[in-house]
Amino acid sequence: MSEPATSPSVDPITLEVVKNALASTADEMALVVMRSAYSPVVRDTMDYSTALCDRRGRVVAQGLTLAVQLGTFPTVMAYVLEEFGDSAAPGDVYIANDPYGCGGQHLPDLYVIKPIFVDGALEGYAATMAHHSDVGGIAPGSVAVHATEIYQEGLRIPLSKLYDGGAENTTLFRLIEANTRQPIHVLGDLRAQLAACRVGERGLTALLERYGADAHVYMDELQRSAERTMRAELAKLPDGVHTFTDWIDGVGESPEPIPIVVRVEIAGDEVVIDFEGTSPQVDASVNCPVGMVRAACYCALRGIVRVEMPNCEGYMVPIHVRAPAGTVVNPVLPAACGARGVIGYRVYDAIMGALAPIVPDRVIAAGEGGPTLIALGGYDEERRPWGTTEVLVGTWGARATLDGLEGVSNPLANLANQPVELLEADIPVRMLRYGLEPDSGGPGRRRGGLAYARSYEVLADRALLTIRTDRRDHPPYGLDGAEHGAPSSNVVETGGERVVLPTMPMQASALVRGDRFTHVAAGGGGYGDPLTRDPQAVLEDVLDGKVSPAAARKRYGVVVVDETIDHEATMALRGAR
Amino acid sequence: MTQEQLAPGHRLGIDIGGTFTDVVLLGEDGSVRTTKVLSTPDDYARGVAAGARALLAEHGLAPEVISGVVHASTVASNTVLEGLGARTALVTTEGFCDVLELRRLRIPVLYDIQYDHARPLVPRRLRFEVRERLGPRGEVWTALDEDQVREVGRRIAEQGVEAVAIALLHSYVDDRHERRVEEIVRAEVGEGVYVTRSSEILPEIREYERTSTAVVNAYVGPAITRYLGSLVARLGEAGIDAPLEVMQSAGGTLTPQAAGRRPAHLIESGPAAGVMACASLGRLTGRTQLISLDMGGTTAKAAIVEDGQPVRTSEYEVGAGINLSSKLVKGGGHPIKLPFVDLSEIGAGGGSIVGIDEVGTVRVGPVSAGSLPGPACYGVGGTEPTLTDALLVLGYLDERTLGGGAITLDRERAREALHRVVAGPLGRSVEEAAHGVLQLSVATMTRAVKAVTTYRGRDPRDFALCAFGGNGPLTGVEIARALGIRQVLVPPAPGVFSALGLLFSDSEHEVVRTLMLRGEAITPAALDAAFAAVEAEAAAHFADGHDGQPVTITRSADVRYAGQAYELAVAVPPGPVDVSALVDAFVAEHVRTYGHGSADAPVDVVSLRALARVERTASRRYDPVAAIGALPPYAAIRAVYFGPRDGFVETPVCNRAGLLEGERRGPLLVDEADSTCIVPPGCVARLDTYGTIEVDVDV
Repeated sequence: MSEPATSPSVDPITLEVVKNALASTADEMALVVMRSAYSPVVRDTMDYSTALCDRRGRVVAQGLTLAVQLGTFPTVMAYVLEEFGDSAAPGDVYIANDPYGCGGQHLPDLYVIKPIFVDGALEGYAATMAHHSDVGGIAPGSVAVHATEIYQEGLRIPLSKLYDGGAENTTLFRLIEANTRQPIHVLGDLRAQLAACRVGERGLTALLERYGADAHVYMDELQRSAERTMRAELAKLPDGVHTFTDWIDGVGESPEPIPIVVRVEIAGDEVVIDFEGTSPQVDASVNCPVGMVRAACYCALRGIVRVEMPNCEGYMVPIHVRAPAGTVVNPVLPAACGARGVIGYRVYDAIMGALAPIVPDRVIAAGEGGPTLIALGGYDEERRPWGTTEVLVGTWGARATLDGLEGVSNPLANLANQPVELLEADIPVRMLRYGLEPDSGGPGRRRGGLAYARSYEVLADRALLTIRTDRRDHPPYGLDGAEHGAPSSNVVETGGERVVLPTMPMQASALVRGDRFTHVAAGGGGYGDPLTRDPQAVLEDVLDGKVSPAAARKRYGVVVVDETIDHEATMALRGAR
Repeated sequence: MTQEQLAPGHRLGIDIGGTFTDVVLLGEDGSVRTTKVLSTPDDYARGVAAGARALLAEHGLAPEVISGVVHASTVASNTVLEGLGARTALVTTEGFCDVLELRRLRIPVLYDIQYDHARPLVPRRLRFEVRERLGPRGEVWTALDEDQVREVGRRIAEQGVEAVAIALLHSYVDDRHERRVEEIVRAEVGEGVYVTRSSEILPEIREYERTSTAVVNAYVGPAITRYLGSLVARLGEAGIDAPLEVMQSAGGTLTPQAAGRRPAHLIESGPAAGVMACASLGRLTGRTQLISLDMGGTTAKAAIVEDGQPVRTSEYEVGAGINLSSKLVKGGGHPIKLPFVDLSEIGAGGGSIVGIDEVGTVRVGPVSAGSLPGPACYGVGGTEPTLTDALLVLGYLDERTLGGGAITLDRERAREALHRVVAGPLGRSVEEAAHGVLQLSVATMTRAVKAVTTYRGRDPRDFALCAFGGNGPLTGVEIARALGIRQVLVPPAPGVFSALGLLFSDSEHEVVRTLMLRGEAITPAALDAAFAAVEAEAAAHFADGHDGQPVTITRSADVRYAGQAYELAVAVPPGPVDVSALVDAFVAEHVRTYGHGSADAPVDVVSLRALARVERTASRRYDPVAAIGALPPYAAIRAVYFGPRDGFVETPVCNRAGLLEGERRGPLLVDEADSTCIVPPGCVARLDTYGTIEVDVDV
């Protein structure tokens, strides 16, 4: 190495120490939320994020939570600095959820952000985001696809002070409490977010007391180091333009496909991701505010870079996102956004598709398509509300050298599932099945992961079911000659009848006692020609019941008889194709 | 025969590690004798017996003097890590055979789309579903179809498995279906197959964690049973037929019979021994708040002792690689939801390899050079610089010989490696680079200590740091400085301190029951009745007598706010339960741990625990001071680099006897056979009454 790679005034050892201190504080914040939250969606599914920001509002560290949410903090923080940058005072805490005018995502995602003061000077921010179980609106869970404008989706909270100089904004607390079907969960989770902010404040204060003003020098250097790393990696990629289109099936009974068109242009050490040609915003709640779209872009690029870098927003600087206003990737008032994730996750899939020809050994074929949301709830005999929001994930597409995974969260998310036993202890539901679906993984040299199936029986007199699913008409794509994964399905069994629900119904389904609902997610796409898959790997899948003998023959050209490979027949079959 | 040979009551502690087996003999006179022999992975028992024989022979003792043997071993965890466990079948409720493979979904990394899972310990082809279903209150939703279970049993028998795990939904509330399935399956598969029932090993809610725990238990069961059988036989051949006890992951010991039934309790047997040693040292010397830091060649392990007791957890994954924060970073391995000493383990040890990436970031570990190819200074093949090389360049270590003369540390090799990899590229001196490597290791270990203190709402400044293992005494003071800890303790024989801890560990047995009491159901009557049951069961564990020592019982309750998913353990004093005092204690603990709590919000009492304990009297005899007094006088001078401010300092070197006459100011090095204690300038060192070095840190 000819010259020192870091700035001369920065000691690389201290830099690493500061990075560790920030990262462990952000993790500690995440731990506090997880352990003291009330709602299943936060405490078990872990749909929340924590971050520490510097005094300019830039994320310098993120807890090991949801990858995609790191990318949304910068959008919110820009509004925080604009609104309160000059007037922030010790003891202030901000709250926001509105996609319009303050960088929110969808209304259940409440941001709680605390400016941190040391010796009277603003030195940084502790930031948290949690998906709350309910903020009102037309259906339990506040994520109903069938909302056509944001006014139907629940309580909009513009960027506001939840605490002002240490004094609680009781009006706002009461307003929130009055506008949710789950006040105990929501207020409990808010307390958990506030506790996490205090932990972040303590950690950053300790760092500043130790390093003084140098701490900012090092935080700046972390940003630059991340940016340098990303630029160096982008510079290694060949310049050029690559386009890809992926699709959302559409909403309602007769869905119109919604195209996500992405154009990735690599030029030197920068990349421009342009969504020109993507569908205009729609009259359903799948419109995705640009914060999450940007975040999905950052995650996709971060995923194909195989070197470590500080977990801060510096790496995003050379990534430019152009999302035309009024489209599903940058909606404007009054577009509804409750189910926006389906677009956000598809943006990631589309970019991976565009990157595949450039870095074929580093991409991943499409997985289940992002979380399925299932909100099931109602009122018991004493009119007390019950309900749960399930955020279900589970399947990866194949990679150049690895099969797709099963029993895993989406690469953007790192969510957890809810234990069946806790679910049944909490609400009047019986789970009938939670398992893998044979023959659902996209055939390929590397097989896509199998889909999961989850099946519920209602044990209350009445229940309302809202779902957000996708990937039925446009199943997860395979790469390099592989097949796509199996499509998803939603079936209600009621009174001996089998009713197929749309992927995204435009109304809640009314269920009664004994009705059963089964969601089978999509399987992951494969990678490479299935006829080149190692016959032994096909046999293992057959023995495990993941691939049927019929599919082994038809899709992989492998003949399995009595639990062994008929090599002669296999060679003949493969040779004939 | 000498009088010593006739003395009864010698106790033998055996700690099997990946490379060495440590053997410690604690004499009835309080003397301590130690030896290290190579581990024998093909049959660990052989190495143990050889080590015991060697130690007895060296000191002219007959095997009959040994009245008890306590053992810690990594056999259980290695069985999982190396994938060498039993061919195991799993029986589940219909519709749920994939619970084991679907896991909890989360993985311990972000952004890594080339990630791959640890394979489930039971492949899908060996997972069988039975027709039955209980509801969350134990109500029968679907009756057990015994004919179908028999058919499943026959199919399992055809598979030639060595072990079977049974995990049905809601069996933590009511185990009748699981018990009946066990009876039927046992009848079909026959005597030689090891069977584990989830409601027996872990009667707690959450099906994935319970299933995984049962599966791990079944998977390691046959190997552990064989191993313990072999150990008893080998010790017998060596003439040692004293009772054997095995250390559990939570501290406390099991008989070989109990360990054979519940081998999942042995997974962190070895690391737990170190923490128990730390707690015992605290009890002997009147210290109740300690951070245990055990740093060897590959990893560093941190834990805390609070109010005299090691802090425990029930969240652990085996095979997850090395986890910094055992709480948040989940999903890499196979969960075992049993009591464990709450350890944070990181890849930082003497052998941690130092590297620099293309943008100039310096890294230490987590990859270790181990003993082969070893650090560069060993001269046995390793060329990459390690922490040990840095410590040698700094003068913390001298050019001593290791392993009975097989290896001589070579400072020039260390300098060359550090120059080539770090100092040259960064344009720094070799000493500065070496000091930087030490600082980075300290930063990593600091995270491990934070994971068991600040992450749990504890302030590390309220604790003393007990540093042991070969590398703990070398780095302890630097870690203490980084966290504002004012005192570091280095026990006698720090390199084999864990093995010594085995002899001090009390015999313990914990019993847990899930109650799930809510609101008005939380009554003194309900709690008293449930506590009486768990206390009786815990005490019954020691019913066959135990050295004539009294059994003490401590009780706790796992409590949470209604709606939360995680509980906090609250101690419950003896006598009738005072519900409001219990709730107050919970609220106080919630405030301490999370910074908030509400006195009015409703709570759930999820589980009750009773811990039966028989105190180990051996620790009362422990007296290493005499041995220190017998050390030959030793004094030298070594140039030591304590950082850019001080540069190289001519530093006096002594052995532990050099502190007998009173405290000494740093800079000072205390050299011992298996480690060196560093006392930097500004710090003060002295011996306490048990020969422990106390270092007052200048924070």
